[in-house]
Amino acid sequence: MLIEILQQTINGLAIGGVYVLIALGLTTVFGILGIAHFAHGSISMFGGYLTYFLATSQGLPVLAAIPVALVAGILLGMLVEILAYRPVRNANHINAFIVALGLTMMVEGINLQLFGHEQVVIPTGLSRVFRLGGITVPELRLYVIVAAIVLVVAMMIFVERTKTGQAIRAVAENRDAAILMGVNVRTIPLIVFGMSTALGVAAGIMVGALFAIAPGIGEGLVVKGFAVLILGGLGSFPGAILGGTVLGITESIAAGFISSAYKDVIAFVVMILVLLIRPQGLLGRAP
Amino acid sequence: MLSVRDLKVSYGGIEVVHGVSLDVAAGECVALIGANGAGKSSTLKAICGLVPASGGSISFEGNDITRASGHAIVRAGITMCPEGRQVFPQMSVIQNLRMGAYTRTDPEQEADLSRMMDMFPILRERQSQAAGKLSGGEQEMLAIARALMARPRICLFDEPSLGLAPKIVASVFETLARIKAMGVTILLVEQNSMMALNLADRAYLFEAGRIVMEGAAGALKNHPDVMRAYLGH
Repeated sequence: MLIEILQQTINGLAIGGVYVLIALGLTTVFGILGIAHFAHGSISMFGGYLTYFLATSQGLPVLAAIPVALVAGILLGMLVEILAYRPVRNANHINAFIVALGLTMMVEGINLQLFGHEQVVIPTGLSRVFRLGGITVPELRLYVIVAAIVLVVAMMIFVERTKTGQAIRAVAENRDAAILMGVNVRTIPLIVFGMSTALGVAAGIMVGALFAIAPGIGEGLVVKGFAVLILGGLGSFPGAILGGTVLGITESIAAGFISSAYKDVIAFVVMILVLLIRPQGLLGRAP
Repeated sequence: MLSVRDLKVSYGGIEVVHGVSLDVAAGECVALIGANGAGKSSTLKAICGLVPASGGSISFEGNDITRASGHAIVRAGITMCPEGRQVFPQMSVIQNLRMGAYTRTDPEQEADLSRMMDMFPILRERQSQAAGKLSGGEQEMLAIARALMARPRICLFDEPSLGLAPKIVASVFETLARIKAMGVTILLVEQNSMMALNLADRAYLFEAGRIVMEGAAGALKNHPDVMRAYLGH
């Protein structure tokens, strides 16, 4: 029993890491621009597809394909900010909402056109399995967990310890005051979209390596991402990290002990229960 | 140093500042006084680039900054300590202070940081606390210190006494006097006309979006119209 719980917790940490990366991107964009960036999942999956394409059709080693996809993600994120969201920056919020929905359909369509409708798995060749007591840890899962932790720590250091990172926080907390500090509020959204999309692409690659990428996966992931934001507390980085980890582990334990067919149901039931007790989310502040 | 000519400011097509002209010389402390809604704050916001000027011109040290963006104006040397303090509530006191030095690249930022905390000991005491947890008066001190962290050539203060208890207001003005004594050029918007006129070298009296009187602070303080309407005599 205990072994099984530990086993499912390890499994859950890997998928939880994916949720955390998606949720951190969504929460940063939401904090800066007040936009629910629905296309985030589909763009993340584009990054996963791209890695697959480079690693198979182009014959690149996966470890070389990943940085290329991450850089592509940064550029793509910036492009999305300039072309899709910047024009509606000062318009009614419903406009950005509609742009986000339209963008999601567009990117899903582009993914379908470019990469087809077959599900793909990024070939990592990592098939060793570590055994610790009664727990088995496939090396791929371990690397995914480590990579997620490294990315989250790197992002926290960037936000807390660099001038640009602090400017991002400042704009999220008080846009006018940030202007008075000399922050250029036109370049900050560019940086935020670049960073968020790179994190999303990393999550897309992880999904592609751990499971598979197929049409519709990205949309499901973005719904989970927003669920994590609400679970952790809107606008809170530690909340997104805790929320994503909790959701991943809950899903995994539910799949292991009850049925994988019900894992989403159980995960959302847990979320609803948390919100009944703490409407502001796990680490959110009471209004 | 700062020169505003025939400035007009409108919100949604409604003009609230109808052609205001004023000057601030280097080292001077100038106050804009007048009733609520007279256009004082809008004038300051236009200088900082937070709201666009719909007419007229603003120049700073000979450069036209009328259409410059907010961050470029800060880099030119104009810093504002905004109305309502506007600290970054979830960032720590020290992070707020460091944001004040955002445009600086010189190596003396850390020295300035400890100078500010010498000047405001409460900020040293609370340095790792979230700024939103500070009292109103403490937040005002933080906002003032944050503005000074930019080493501005001119510092604009927008209603620094607003919403504070009388005792705290007195200490805010003591602080402003110390900043003035340090040689910082000041443009102050304040509804507390008596306090403002006691501090300032010169003043402009605003009424309904226009300047109706200007002169030495002492002269305005003793002007019968000002005494009756704004000083409660």
